[in-house]
Amino acid sequence: MNEDIVHLVRDVRQNPVENTRAAARLMSLLENHPARITELYAGLADWPEPLMVLGITGPPGAGKSTLVDQLIELYRKRHPLSRLGVIAVDPSSHASKGSVMGDRVRMMRHATDSHVFVRSLAARGHLGGLALGVRGVLRVMGLMQCQLILIETVGVGQSEMEVAEFADMVAIVLAPGQGDGIQLLKSGLMETGDVFVVNKADRDGATQLQSQLLSTLNLRASVADAGAPPPVCMTSALGGDGMDGFLDLLEVHCARSGDQWLTQRKQRFEQEVEQAVLQEAHRRLADMLRTSGIGSEGITRVLRGETTVNELATALLQLSARGKPPYNEGHVDERRP
Amino acid sequence: MTTAHPRARILIGKPGLDGHDRGAKYIVHILRDAGYEVVYTGIRRSPEEIVEAAIQEDVAAIGLSLLSGAHNELFRQVIDLLKARGAEDILVFGGGIIPASDIPGLHEMGMAAVFTPGSSAKEIIATVDRLLSVRQEV
Repeated sequence: MNEDIVHLVRDVRQNPVENTRAAARLMSLLENHPARITELYAGLADWPEPLMVLGITGPPGAGKSTLVDQLIELYRKRHPLSRLGVIAVDPSSHASKGSVMGDRVRMMRHATDSHVFVRSLAARGHLGGLALGVRGVLRVMGLMQCQLILIETVGVGQSEMEVAEFADMVAIVLAPGQGDGIQLLKSGLMETGDVFVVNKADRDGATQLQSQLLSTLNLRASVADAGAPPPVCMTSALGGDGMDGFLDLLEVHCARSGDQWLTQRKQRFEQEVEQAVLQEAHRRLADMLRTSGIGSEGITRVLRGETTVNELATALLQLSARGKPPYNEGHVDERRP
Repeated sequence: MTTAHPRARILIGKPGLDGHDRGAKYIVHILRDAGYEVVYTGIRRSPEEIVEAAIQEDVAAIGLSLLSGAHNELFRQVIDLLKARGAEDILVFGGGIIPASDIPGLHEMGMAAVFTPGSSAKEIIATVDRLLSVRQEV
């Protein structure tokens, strides 16, 4: 198996349906070596982009995986030619670093559908509801020409909002019986939702939760003067009730905001590349600082008052402008943190 | 930031029609506690579903649990499908109510290990560790 990123990318791009193995290997490579994502940036503007990246988040047991399963079913019925990717994140053990990833259990009926690709990720100690590998998996699913990508977070509490950085839209899934209206007033997670889903709508307390949610969202919208409050969908995902309405709503948003999402993603890519360039420059300057003598001698001289931090930085930049040590084109040091 | 690699990713599947998943869940549990990232796929899965999921998840090994007696047939199907997909580097081990007389045949068809009732957690983990330590990880 060729583990060269460039070759794997070429294989996936050439034939995303046949080369699922290459796609899966690429995802592992990027998950295990997050810094290597920089190798994807050259030419990224040319990659296919999904129509929509939807984040699905909410407390454990609210029905996120079941909702994802039903969304896959319905989306595939409506768009038989479209591909769909799912990233399902589950927590890692603090003690053993191991993980049980069980979201897939709810989605197994799509396992042999060549248009559906599901990838489970363990959070590996990463806080925020996602995993470090999400960025890479998301890119590869784009390359596989997935039109819709669903990111299911770990079961979250109140502060895990990272999914909003990756998704065009975030759906917050709630179920009755998980706290009163005060919980809905709190900051954090509840502020990030673009659409709310009251799942298990057939259960006692669902309409009460819906009305509390609506009143909270209306209150918030009027206080913030931010236009219409986010919509609330009632679903009972296990039986499929309300799923049509939920997908209708997503598709309306997609038609209305798709162009804006593309612009947002492009801006995020630019920020990512900027960060990567700065990190690489920092790494090289740090190496030079350590090896050139500017570091140990210079720092001592600053402390003695013989020179200043500014002068030292100027000296370092001048040294780097002379091109020492030589820049190794294309070389990636995997050992760096 | 935690980027320490887990030991490996392993998929646990239950092919066939029996719904006795206690053994499968037990294995999921002990593998997790031994530091593996375990994808569990639930009961009554076809060999096709298990193999496709294993490829998408890029696991190092598949563990199959079966108590219905159809192990000779279903384990073989999983191994054959992996070969057909060019994924024979994914190890397959299994467990369940399996007569001792069937075990040599299972090894011959390519099962890396077979565990029967009474296998200890320690023994299972030691075997999986040994099998996966020789496999080249990404």
